[in-house]
Amino acid sequence: MSLSLDSTQLDRYSRHIIMDEVGPEGQQKLLDGSALVVGAGGLGAPVIQYLAAAGVGRIGVVDDDVVERSNLQRQVIHADADVGIPKVESAKKFVERLNPDVTVEAHETRLDTDNVEELVADYDVVVDASDNFPTRYMVNDAARIHDVPVAHGAIYKFEGQVTTLTPDGPCYRCLFREAPEPGTVPDCATTGVLGVLPGTVGCIQATEAMKLLLETGDVLEGRLLFYDAMDMTFETVPYRENPDCPVCGESAIDSIEGIEYSGGCTIAD
Amino acid sequence: MRLELRFFATFREAVGTKTIEREYEDGALVGDVLGALEDEFDGLEGQILQNGGLKPQINVLKNGREVLHMAGVETELEDGDTLSVFPPVAGG
Repeated sequence: MSLSLDSTQLDRYSRHIIMDEVGPEGQQKLLDGSALVVGAGGLGAPVIQYLAAAGVGRIGVVDDDVVERSNLQRQVIHADADVGIPKVESAKKFVERLNPDVTVEAHETRLDTDNVEELVADYDVVVDASDNFPTRYMVNDAARIHDVPVAHGAIYKFEGQVTTLTPDGPCYRCLFREAPEPGTVPDCATTGVLGVLPGTVGCIQATEAMKLLLETGDVLEGRLLFYDAMDMTFETVPYRENPDCPVCGESAIDSIEGIEYSGGCTIAD
Repeated sequence: MRLELRFFATFREAVGTKTIEREYEDGALVGDVLGALEDEFDGLEGQILQNGGLKPQINVLKNGREVLHMAGVETELEDGDTLSVFPPVAGG
């Protein structure tokens, strides 16, 4: 790694650079680093915002939706004038205005079994800011196969669940063996969501992604953080590897080929 | 024995509140308590237990520890223990 911060960058990132915990070397790691943000919605918006501001050099954004007016109550990178345009395009435009050091790779597509492995393997960290179980299981499986860490966050009305899935720690399937049956855990469109909730949860995911890129601190490996916005409580509970886990256990899969990501997202023996 | 029972996300809605306290007979196991909860709350019926074990779509913690890493539904309880019941959520 060669340090090549120019005078504008020394100024822009000065509050990072003066800290021993980041320093010029850490800032260079961020500039040389890459993150794939899956979903440019409520969680993805603050993640993209802070990773871009911090100077993460290459940010991939995957989303196949367009901006809707009902998104704007919480998806803070999109603006009124963006209604109707693809979210990845709006995200790219936002980042270009914020920080010219950052390259946004807009992937206007839905993650599926044909593209997930190639996308995930191309980045240093993945931030799972998606909004459905099949994508979450798919991201976990592909990231584990390719040894890419995942900063995971999910929300429900006024509660959040955050954890970090490192290549050496337990995976999402160790924590949640099966996805709930479709319809039993409804989505934001059905239940509503407190607008600021994904801001808090997404910022925690962005923090984890930064620490992974900086290779510093203790991430939420083997720990599930519950955030309750109503009680204003944070609780952490530990979880462990499942030796029988089909993705990271003793007889782990080496490809997602043939996995049916619908219903319980289970992997057949 | 008296237990504190805590519910997250959809389970909180089924119960109507995050935390309740209940009295159980000494010696009641995790499965006994969860069965009693399914009987008490309509919205929990069939949501927690399945074929004598826990449904694979939910998580139950005893004092912040996954009961599957203990004895599952056979896990013993003591006065003052807390059981927490939660599903994964996926919103973003």
